[in-house]
Amino acid sequence: MKTYVKIAIFVVAFIALSAILAGLYLYNLKHTDMAKARPDFIITATALQKEFEINETTASAKYINKVIEVTGAIASVTQAGGNNLNISLKTGNDISSVICTFPAIVDPSKFKTGDIIALRGECSGFTQLFPGEPPLDVLLNNCAVIVHK
Amino acid sequence: MKRILLLIFFLNIVLAVNAQKYMTKNGYIGFFSHTSMEDIKGDNNQVVGAIDISTGEMVFQAVIKSFHFDRALMEEHFNENYMESDKIPKSSFKGKITNLSSVDFSKNGTYDVTVEGDLIIHDITNKISTKGTIEVVSGGINANAKFNIVPEDYKISIPGVVRDKINKNLEVTVAMKYAPLTAK
Repeated sequence: MKTYVKIAIFVVAFIALSAILAGLYLYNLKHTDMAKARPDFIITATALQKEFEINETTASAKYINKVIEVTGAIASVTQAGGNNLNISLKTGNDISSVICTFPAIVDPSKFKTGDIIALRGECSGFTQLFPGEPPLDVLLNNCAVIVHK
Repeated sequence: MKRILLLIFFLNIVLAVNAQKYMTKNGYIGFFSHTSMEDIKGDNNQVVGAIDISTGEMVFQAVIKSFHFDRALMEEHFNENYMESDKIPKSSFKGKITNLSSVDFSKNGTYDVTVEGDLIIHDITNKISTKGTIEVVSGGINANAKFNIVPEDYKISIPGVVRDKINKNLEVTVAMKYAPLTAK
């Protein structure tokens, strides 16, 4: 075979292999490690919940799908129905909170009600059990602890 | 004295009404698809749910973007292509326990129930009926159910190329741990 044909085959094979590897990489990609991600917003739980309460449409457009680092006092630590850990942060009012879910099983005993904590996660939206009522909770997923006093 | 008695009387009514409602903000809804090609599992641990034990009414609301998949690409497809969660952010259920009289909420134990109601996914409403269990425990109520849904029933279109990777039926698991709604 002529040299240039050999080189051409080699190049095509190389490109094909790279494409397959890239595809496999994307296919199996797990979620971003929040501890390493750069936050789009750094805000207190109280301020975040307030923005959703004032205007849920504007707040949704601003925060959903973004990485948010939220700071606040722990209101509750709950083993969710599916055994993941949920940490709720206190906000300006009694019924609303910012709920952060951890992606993997995390030891709940480290977290106490009242602890000041900074959590980073992706905002997935808010809950509102009955339409017309103010938003209940702001939801963060894939959370990681950044600071825990 | 009369005014105080009247106030206590009204407070008792309000408290009694609220004492019938139980709620959770950490409810679990997951769905599972098994095929010979692959298993797909989506978990949501931020489901809001409420139950009224005097009427047997149950409501749930799940934010679609809170469904977590192991693989980021799958979660992206789920949200962008199948559920269109930017347009339709939530899914909900509104129904009731049909055999409420067979549950004794004052006695700890597990009771078999049938729940019927409207399941709204992707803005499409379908009536569903499922068996489940109500477990009365100290300080709360646990509700569990498993049922199947067909994605096409909710106008969720799965392209032909990947249709074989997803089972015709999706197995939905509901696990709620309710606590009493305290009057504020």
